Amino acid sequence: MTVPPADDAAKKELPPPSYRSLAAPVATPVDKFALLPAFLKVRGLVKEHIDSFNYFTTRGIRNIVEANNRIEARNDPSIYLRYTNVYVGTPSVQVDYKIENITPHFCRLTDRTYSAPIRVDIEYTVGKQHEPQHKKNVLIGYLPIMLRSYACVLHGRDEAELARQGECPLDPGGYFIVKGTEKVILIQEQLSKNRIIIDTDSKGRVIASVTSSTHEIKSKTVITMDKEKIYLQLNQFTKPIPIIVVMKAMGMESDQEVVQMVGRDPRYGDLLFPSIQECASERIYTQQQALQYMDEKVTYPGAGNQKEGRSKSILRDVFIAHVPVKNGNFRQKCIYTGVMLRRMMDAILNADTFDDKDYVGNKRLELSGQLISLLFEDLFKTMNSQAVELMNKNSDKTRSSPSDFSQLIKHEAITSGLERAISTGNWDIKRFRMHRKGVSQVLSRLSYMASLGYMTRITPQFEKTRKTSGPRALQPSQWGMLCPCDTPEGEACGLTKNLALLTHVTTDQEEGPLMNLCKSLGVEDLTLLSGEEIHAPGSFLVMFNGLILGKHRQPQTFANAMRELRRSGKIGEFVSIFVNEKQHCIHIASDGGRVCRPLIIADKGISRVKECHMKELRDGIRSFDDFLRDGLIEYLDVNEENNALIALYEHVDQDDVERSSITHIEIEPLSILGVVSGLIPYPHHNQSPRNTYQCAMGKQAMGNIAYNQLFRADSLLYLLVYAQRPLLTTKTIELVGYDKLGAGQNATVAVMGYSGYDIEDAIVMNKSSLDRGFGRCIAMKKYTVMKENYGDGVSDRIAKPQRDKDGVLLRQNMRALDEDGIAAPGQIIRNHDVYVNKQSPKIVDRRGAGALLKDMDYKDSLAIYKGVDGETTVVDRVMLCSDTNEKLSIKCIIRHTRRPEVGDKFSSRHGQKGVCGTIVQQEDFPFSERGICPDLIMNPHGFPSRMTIGKMIELIGGKAGLSCGRFHYGSAFGEPSGNADKVEDISNTLIKHGFSYNGKDFLYSGILGHPLEAYIFMGPIYYQKLKHMVLDKMHARASGPRVLLTRQPTEGRSRDGGLRLGEMERDCLIAYGASMLIFERLLLSSDPYQVQVCRKCGLLGYYNYKLKTSYCSMCKNGENMAKMRLPYACKLLFQELQAMNVVPRLKLTEG
Amino acid sequence: MDRPAAGASYQRFPRVRIRELRDDYAKFELRDTDASIANALRRVMIAEVPTVAIDLVEIEVNSSVLNDEFIAHRLGLIPLTSAAAMQMRFSRDCDACDGDGSCEYCSVEFLLSARATDSDQTLEVTANDLRSADPKVCPVDQARAYQQALNADYDTNAGEQRGILIVKLRRGQELRLRAIARKGIGKDHAKWSPAATVTFMYEPDIRINEELMDTLTLDEKRSWVESSPTKVFHLDPITKQVTVCDAEAYTYDDEVIKKAEAMGKPGLVEINAKEDSFIFTVETTGAITAYELIMNAITVLRQKLDAVRLQDDDGDLGELGAHLGGP
Repeated sequence: MTVPPADDAAKKELPPPSYRSLAAPVATPVDKFALLPAFLKVRGLVKEHIDSFNYFTTRGIRNIVEANNRIEARNDPSIYLRYTNVYVGTPSVQVDYKIENITPHFCRLTDRTYSAPIRVDIEYTVGKQHEPQHKKNVLIGYLPIMLRSYACVLHGRDEAELARQGECPLDPGGYFIVKGTEKVILIQEQLSKNRIIIDTDSKGRVIASVTSSTHEIKSKTVITMDKEKIYLQLNQFTKPIPIIVVMKAMGMESDQEVVQMVGRDPRYGDLLFPSIQECASERIYTQQQALQYMDEKVTYPGAGNQKEGRSKSILRDVFIAHVPVKNGNFRQKCIYTGVMLRRMMDAILNADTFDDKDYVGNKRLELSGQLISLLFEDLFKTMNSQAVELMNKNSDKTRSSPSDFSQLIKHEAITSGLERAISTGNWDIKRFRMHRKGVSQVLSRLSYMASLGYMTRITPQFEKTRKTSGPRALQPSQWGMLCPCDTPEGEACGLTKNLALLTHVTTDQEEGPLMNLCKSLGVEDLTLLSGEEIHAPGSFLVMFNGLILGKHRQPQTFANAMRELRRSGKIGEFVSIFVNEKQHCIHIASDGGRVCRPLIIADKGISRVKECHMKELRDGIRSFDDFLRDGLIEYLDVNEENNALIALYEHVDQDDVERSSITHIEIEPLSILGVVSGLIPYPHHNQSPRNTYQCAMGKQAMGNIAYNQLFRADSLLYLLVYAQRPLLTTKTIELVGYDKLGAGQNATVAVMGYSGYDIEDAIVMNKSSLDRGFGRCIAMKKYTVMKENYGDGVSDRIAKPQRDKDGVLLRQNMRALDEDGIAAPGQIIRNHDVYVNKQSPKIVDRRGAGALLKDMDYKDSLAIYKGVDGETTVVDRVMLCSDTNEKLSIKCIIRHTRRPEVGDKFSSRHGQKGVCGTIVQQEDFPFSERGICPDLIMNPHGFPSRMTIGKMIELIGGKAGLSCGRFHYGSAFGEPSGNADKVEDISNTLIKHGFSYNGKDFLYSGILGHPLEAYIFMGPIYYQKLKHMVLDKMHARASGPRVLLTRQPTEGRSRDGGLRLGEMERDCLIAYGASMLIFERLLLSSDPYQVQVCRKCGLLGYYNYKLKTSYCSMCKNGENMAKMRLPYACKLLFQELQAMNVVPRLKLTEG
Repeated sequence: MDRPAAGASYQRFPRVRIRELRDDYAKFELRDTDASIANALRRVMIAEVPTVAIDLVEIEVNSSVLNDEFIAHRLGLIPLTSAAAMQMRFSRDCDACDGDGSCEYCSVEFLLSARATDSDQTLEVTANDLRSADPKVCPVDQARAYQQALNADYDTNAGEQRGILIVKLRRGQELRLRAIARKGIGKDHAKWSPAATVTFMYEPDIRINEELMDTLTLDEKRSWVESSPTKVFHLDPITKQVTVCDAEAYTYDDEVIKKAEAMGKPGLVEINAKEDSFIFTVETTGAITAYELIMNAITVLRQKLDAVRLQDDDGDLGELGAHLGGP
């Protein structure tokens, strides 16, 4: 009875698909690849961020203001202010009462916030008569603007215009600029709101939980089954409440009705029976009794509405809060509870109906627009309540004419609130008790890939310390939505994820029209139906965004009608219609945060996209949106994917039976990977973790960052001198622009052993290649000096370097300075050189002395460059600007060109990192008869355990590409569709150009001149230089600075610290018995100190240098004094103990 | 290998036959000698034949997109005509100037001054814009253009003689610098290496077993001939005979031998490397001609051997003495 006949029929109709035929190659290959660039052109790489922010600036902000549009004085409601309109202006700053438009690049360089004014139109009362007045364009705060959103000046600009604004056309936007730093609001992953989740808790009990979220309240409702009885758990109640009591309290007094609401199946009745019995044993039969019972269990009794009872208001406002109670009618909540119970019992009876919390369909992604709208709503309300507060204060004080509200609206709160939240990443919203840290992060500009990777990153809500494996595992439902490769290693592994190439995250859509549409398509309203009718076999419940809308008798017809409407563009393209056969439900979702992706619609396995459409696309007549509008392509979210059968390619044989059941066709298999993993060639030939490693390393590779990289002022910038595009590319590389902003070089690699300096993944490099510019990089570092103002015109000054009569510098370390006292661009600057000759006034607090300060009144506060001795660095640029506090800030960018040295880290694109082991002269390198000499030698032991076959294919593919002059492709899973060259074809190309088919060459030893005994696998591989360089890390010290407090050597490279002999090392020395060495390391080389100890009292005395005697201040004499050495830290400890009234005494014996 | 008695002569008389000689390319055979000699010659050509290259750059104005070090590095890699390099002094042991690189014996001064004026096109600053103080030392493209201008009858193809690109200038950008070229060797920095390609191969000795070959059908012969990635063998369409048409094209890839074995005819062909004859391919960067490169390499090699011999006279060979067979 529980199995619906529809299910049976469906099973008969759908024979199990044979997967071989799904993957069969295309009969008439319609090259659908062109859809990818078309998609990215329309939506861009970070479309979800920009869409969500656009939604906020156009609709969200309006909704928030409308919902809170009226404020009135508490004592006199006729004094009011009403917001009639709100809009976000163009990004600008106010300088001396003048409004200036700003560009993002200007903000980056001058440490400003790229923000636009939020203006409102208001209506308010003035005077005693409360005459309404109107005012337009009232500023209520500045909103940081996301780059490339509608409000941004860069929106819709072409390449030339972007270049004029100093912007890189390849930069995707989607981030904010706050105080000069680029900040990304990361995508936050959450469990679905307003959905029933059936799960087991830590004690193994079955629970049904709903996290309700409305504009007013967020609450969590949990129904548990404990010892066969079912209870409701709410924070507002001290104890679990029997669910039947709750039902009765909501007015469902008859037990029969409750059972009917759950379902008439006797098994449900059996499960419900103990609960009903418990309720009866408590003698609760009426609503009144039930409410009374519940009132006793309320956590904070007393507060709240006394009239109707506390528990009733809890049931109305907190219990499954998203289900509305209209006119005190709890029926909807009863039905919802009934459905929750039914789902729980289904789960008890049949374990596979449990919900999977890790299932992507049960997840929602929170984007920057939503996060900012939460914050804005809070700040807006705070601003309004502050205005009311002020109004009350004013009217209390002066009984005279009430001031008008427009004077009381302060825009600083919103401006600083938004700015602070985005710049610190701390999202504190009191209303929702939300305290999140690290919501926004600095956009890493280490490489182009790193910044793209940031934009697609999804951070989890779980704590990372949890050891559970469930949420970290790869979910089958991630297919096509989240990249299976790109996740960090270590604690966040599997929790932090990245979006796949074509994924889109939805934004909210209006619910009202959709609900009406459903009703007109035959959804029956539940309020008119009895429990019996609701669960009648064959009829499906229609759930709309987690609400029960009604039921439908012909679910498939209804779903098809809805989908048809969506495909024809009558309803939003992101609305999902999902028929859940198991739960007898149709889920319609239009809420924001669902992940979805475009797919080609197929009718009985025949793609709707035909060659003619693709031709139109290539000719530029058709855009991606036209494909959507014409119903050729649609977006499916994770839930709706369950109703689809998606083929990789269009079928070949026409008479195949299963063909008719195929509903969709993938656009391109390579789109299951993300942006960062998309640059790996042949990733499908690699061992999976290798791809993950590369995803982490691709973000550390040096290369070109952006077209405007030389005009940027990043605090640290690594650039490659001769960056190249990879010889073996992928389609993703071309789509995201990695071929224009490469981060690596094509090195000719010989896979062989050489010299023994190549063990443990080290690589041997050719010195001549390095001479010619291989791996050469530029490191640019920004040093900022502020010219402080101390008030009253007293400020720091920048003095010109002092010279003697002949014009010779008095101090040699001033040689880099220009005549204005700031380092000159192009000057070579060395360690300890001054780059800004700044002087500060000696006395700061002297008032009114500003102009009168003389030279003597200043002391040097030089900015001294700390570099590496022996390296020459150059002052690249000097920028002067005034910051928001009108202080002059001097930014010196110092450039250092480095060539690779032993110990620098390199990596191929297959997670194979290694350091440079040695650098060898070219004449010692092996060479081939053609005169080819590798740039780099890699040890073959890197291959067997890593199993990076992709790297081998990259090598021979690159070699073939070199010989025939065509870039070869290695897109993921691209062989059947022609987006990856097959090894067979590559081998044929190699043979055609006189190479061995297997990529091996006959080499001669460069040292001896005789042939090597094996053929050497040699060809070009794209190598990345990673940011880890020995120059930044090497550190050694003999003696040096010490910490003031303990007199022990300082710690860390940046402070020229000592190398610690730690506890474990100490243990070794003790075990070995090397006591003198311990003595030397722990005392002599650390903090030796001589003290005078009184042998009598055991306390420390002191040495009187005038009298040349030691003296004990405790015994008041100088007898019995002994000299001894101990660590200064020990002496310090004694003194600190004495300060705490603890007496440490030293007992001395002759040694 | 047994060590011959002391005093025995290893002297051999290598022969050289030049097959092809162009300005920047040479192909020659070196016979009757060992791999050690051939390799020594190759190594000297790459690393120790001196040339002149820009070594010190003083930048006066640089408003181009490339930074100073970048341009200096590019300038260094421009090949300069260095026919006179053998006669020049290394600036480190130049007595006339104490190695500061401003005398005629050890250095050549270059000036470059380029400014993109009002035109909208980018100005390409090339090696041709370098002005040399010494007409003997100049960028190779300039020298070639000059040569072609001398042979006026020769149709000067201006388009191809653009010179090596240093930097592109946009309107208003300027590059002005002084550079000093010095003598050096490839061991110190690859910019001083005159060799673009120096390589040698053992001459292959290919013997086809005619008897076995005759047992093959025409199709088999064809597939066997085609199994070699390089065109080594030739199947005469008329006589149906397989002949060796280009033995040197053979890359020691063993493909034909494997093929013969796969066809069930092992020993169809026997290929051996002649251990005492080498075919050299030499290409230069243009700094010196291929002929000069080879001759200078031999001179340098001789000087090095002389140094060893002089040490021998002193009786103090050091470590080398031990290698040469003890006291």
